[in-house]
Amino acid sequence: MSTTPRVSSAIAGEPAHFGSVLAHQPEIAESFFALYGRFWGSDVLAARIKEVARMRNARVTECGFCRNVRFDKAVAEGLGEEVVDDITDGYETSPKLTDTEKAVLKFTDALIHDPELLNGDARAALQRHLSPAQIAELGLGVTLFLALAKALITMGLEPEVMDRTVLPTPAVLEAAE
Amino acid sequence: MSGPVHAALASDPVLAAHYAEFRSRAEGALDPALVALVRQAVAMVHGIDAAPIDDSALDEGTRAAIAYARRMPFEHTAITDAEAAAMVAHLGEPGFVAFSVVTALADAECRAALVDLPGLAAA
Repeated sequence: MSTTPRVSSAIAGEPAHFGSVLAHQPEIAESFFALYGRFWGSDVLAARIKEVARMRNARVTECGFCRNVRFDKAVAEGLGEEVVDDITDGYETSPKLTDTEKAVLKFTDALIHDPELLNGDARAALQRHLSPAQIAELGLGVTLFLALAKALITMGLEPEVMDRTVLPTPAVLEAAE
Repeated sequence: MSGPVHAALASDPVLAAHYAEFRSRAEGALDPALVALVRQAVAMVHGIDAAPIDDSALDEGTRAAIAYARRMPFEHTAITDAEAAAMVAHLGEPGFVAFSVVTALADAECRAALVDLPGLAAA
């Protein structure tokens, strides 16, 4: 896995990072940020649940950038580091994660790693804890988290060193709506 | 627009439209024939019904792109600087960015299909 950017920044004066590299394709960038803002801005599924899935994806795909970013909306909803620390193998027995979060993590593992993990019991648990609309939003989120992590890694945009960083949660730009 | 993620978002037309726009713009930045080959190659890696690709009919750059795409589902951390540099040489930097997004999205969509995301979202 490379920490040397394989694509240059398209923004003068900025180092290569996901946004500056995506700027090579402004139309893709615009549509992605509109989608991502809409996704995080929706309250169909709580930001804390989305962030739990994103953290699991970050660990399984080995995306260091994703792993060190926290979105402030999820933090405000109580997703502290003591909970994030339990989003690792063995999360099924965590006393800090809710049953809903454990069902979401099993779904996330199934989508990003092994579909066989979503067996009868896991599927039933997911459907017991989330509505169909919430599952749809979760599925979109995990799809994006996985794709973006892999795109970021394969473009060599992994940081050599990065502190944990709380960022504003992506939001819909008013001018875009 | 087809695919498991878009289908699963049927109850949220605004989010579905945003997703369709994103995928469409990413794929629209590449040769449609390459997009089709990437999606076909990734689907085959996942064991999803897809016709085999006759690599012998492709030019060298396209063959390399398909080989690269085949690594995305299970070997993304093993892709080397040299492999990526070959793709940049073939597609240019903007093309490589679009190719990276399209390939990773194709992989994620196959995985969404394998967990029956549309069925879960319709239940």
